[in-house]
Amino acid sequence: MRILITTVQVPFIRGGAEIHAEGLRNALCEFGHEAEILAIPFKWYPPERILDHMLACQLLDISEVAGTRVDLVIGLKFPSYLIPHPNKVLWILHQHRTAYELWDHPLSDLVYYPNGTEVRDVIRQADRKLIPRAKAIFANSRNVAERLKKFCGIDSTPLYHPPPNAERYYCSTVEDFLFFPSRLCIPKRQELVIEALAQTQNSVRVLFAGVSDQPSYANKLMSLARKFKVHDRVEWLGPISADEMRHRYANSIGVIYPPTDEDYGYVTLEAMLSSKPVVTCNDSGGPLEFVLDHKTGLITEPTPDALAAAFDLLWENRAEAKAWGEMGRVRYESFNLSWEHVVNKLLA
Amino acid sequence: MGARGKQVTGMKINWFSPLPPATTGIANYTQGILPALTTQADVTLWTDRTGWDPTLEKYAWIRHYDPDRMDWVELNRADLSFYNLGNNHLFHAAIWQVSRRAAGIVVLHDFRLHDFFECLYRVQWRDADAYLAQMERQYGEEGLRAATEFVNARKGDYDLMAQRFPLTPLALENSLGTVVHTREAFEELKTAKRFAVVYAPLPAATLVSQRSLSVNRASNPYGLIIFGHIGRNRRLDAVLKALSELPNRDRFRLDIYGKIDDEKTLRQRVQTLRLEDIVTAHGYAPAAKLEQALSAASLAINLRYPTMGEASASQLEIWSHALPTLVTKVGWYASLSEETVAHVRPEHEVEDIRHYLESFLADPDRFARMGERGLSLLQQQHDPDAYVATILSLVSNARQLRLRKAAYDMARRAGVLMRAWAPNSDDASRSVAEKIHAMTAEPGSL
Repeated sequence: MRILITTVQVPFIRGGAEIHAEGLRNALCEFGHEAEILAIPFKWYPPERILDHMLACQLLDISEVAGTRVDLVIGLKFPSYLIPHPNKVLWILHQHRTAYELWDHPLSDLVYYPNGTEVRDVIRQADRKLIPRAKAIFANSRNVAERLKKFCGIDSTPLYHPPPNAERYYCSTVEDFLFFPSRLCIPKRQELVIEALAQTQNSVRVLFAGVSDQPSYANKLMSLARKFKVHDRVEWLGPISADEMRHRYANSIGVIYPPTDEDYGYVTLEAMLSSKPVVTCNDSGGPLEFVLDHKTGLITEPTPDALAAAFDLLWENRAEAKAWGEMGRVRYESFNLSWEHVVNKLLA
Repeated sequence: MGARGKQVTGMKINWFSPLPPATTGIANYTQGILPALTTQADVTLWTDRTGWDPTLEKYAWIRHYDPDRMDWVELNRADLSFYNLGNNHLFHAAIWQVSRRAAGIVVLHDFRLHDFFECLYRVQWRDADAYLAQMERQYGEEGLRAATEFVNARKGDYDLMAQRFPLTPLALENSLGTVVHTREAFEELKTAKRFAVVYAPLPAATLVSQRSLSVNRASNPYGLIIFGHIGRNRRLDAVLKALSELPNRDRFRLDIYGKIDDEKTLRQRVQTLRLEDIVTAHGYAPAAKLEQALSAASLAINLRYPTMGEASASQLEIWSHALPTLVTKVGWYASLSEETVAHVRPEHEVEDIRHYLESFLADPDRFARMGERGLSLLQQQHDPDAYVATILSLVSNARQLRLRKAAYDMARRAGVLMRAWAPNSDDASRSVAEKIHAMTAEPGSL
């Protein structure tokens, strides 16, 4: 089959969504299909730009290319999933979140604009009307599926997939650090972790890996670490290779991953693959579908003191941390995550 | 009566209006409907003034705002915003500024807003060029030419400009809908496609049922009353002239309450016409004193010419005292039944006023019945509860109204872009707009 994967791309920014699209394309090709990623540039401010992008997507014709039919379109992200096609399947990574669960939320931007309500209503209306036109609707996680049901009344099937190169994760000798790999940005809550470090009983060390969308934010985090006098207990690794990433996972006591209402989150799965316990929060969304409290990790309130207690618990109880990590690996295996399963579902 | 934040409907609205003690009828209007409004909705009153009548806080949250530093988050938390607009730029400038950025419902208290925009641009912002630009944008070359002549004239004809170039579309261009208080305004606006138009008769500020009507009218002499802001359109000169021509004018006393724009000229006219014993100008009167005066009067004179198309809160106040009234046969007043008011033709003012005063003396009971029918009409058509129900029906449609507006805005943007390559830019723009309108005509379609 000739398959187009539609997504959006914010130029110069790369994260889980890009990896997801590439993983899907590679899997489709591996299973004998001709697949390409069609990425639409996306800008979300001022809010009327969002509507422009929505209309632009709806105006596109990707039913055929140079006289040859496109057999299937798989839509991943808003508003690219609005591109019409007679044979379209959606595998929704997330909707435009500030029009939904993040509308009146500290992470929102839309609500700060005078025309925010207007744009929010149009996004919701378009989703309600146009998403059901797909012949099948899958969601990236149960969390995303629940949001779709809650806000739009649309049923969808959660469809998990493995992180890239899942088979290459391993566990090794534990060193004295907790590991927090993620883009440096407000939703991932590195700030909260720095505040928590200031409240630990032990000299807990944290290695942060990842780059910031905005250089100023990385500087802000470093200043915050100095302000809380924990700068000598944190290390900013910046962008690291996939090999080094796996190495850090393998040598950590445990992995920190407390984002705000994450859609899915590769970090959780990568930690489990590395047999490491995961510290997350009870409002972190996607990770809660995988982490079992006091069995494969710790689920805390999203507060510095609660996170500090969790860090201390892992730091002081290495044997328990190891056991929880191993149980995490077993739990990962129980999900049978595979691209083959994903491809079969999407093409069924 | 709605207490602040206790509504069970879950409806939340923003209400932008002058608030008491601001000396405008629109402040009184807001105060008058607030009890009914707050039984149905959680209301936040927004004001750009630092002071307000503290009794308002029993009913609503009050937020101070600066139009240049708006708290859009708070505004976006409500289901819908209502913007009360009238001709006084001192009270409505900030409201209009917010309304043109955050779409909502514009409550039109005047149907012709030329005075508002002209004063706003030229007097308040000292920007005559912007006024000219708006006139050109709204009315093309003809508007620009008339505005230029108006600006250059030593004494421009405000009334003529308001009639020919009302500039009301400028107040509505970012609106989701408008509430009008007159049939005339409704008829003119109802064909609008971009926004909803709702006609709701102006509500009585005071619930008539809550007032004990003490009829204590003097009959020797009979009391005539004029009240409110006495500007050039209140036809005081015609009233004085008619009175002076009346042979038995001693059987009347005329009491004038409210601020008079040109008090000196009035005094001179009264002297010239030898009406010193008949006419008394009291100046501003507090509400209680005015109530008393209305209770004691036998006939109200409530002339307006020209009119800015407004419905008259003062007329409702008059009716609430079951008073007969002389009104000008223009605008909203012309639509009133002869059963409830006596119409004065603008071109025969003195003649008609004199005629009615003579008729009154001949048969005062006929006029008393007119007042009673006015009271009855007030109770039937100007009930605050019915008014509130009508305007709040817009809240349940707010989402559809926003979708419609977004589609029109998109059409406009697309039209602008198409100018670069379409053979005839106007046709291209209109074509896109019409197509999108067709899509949005069916409720809920996109």
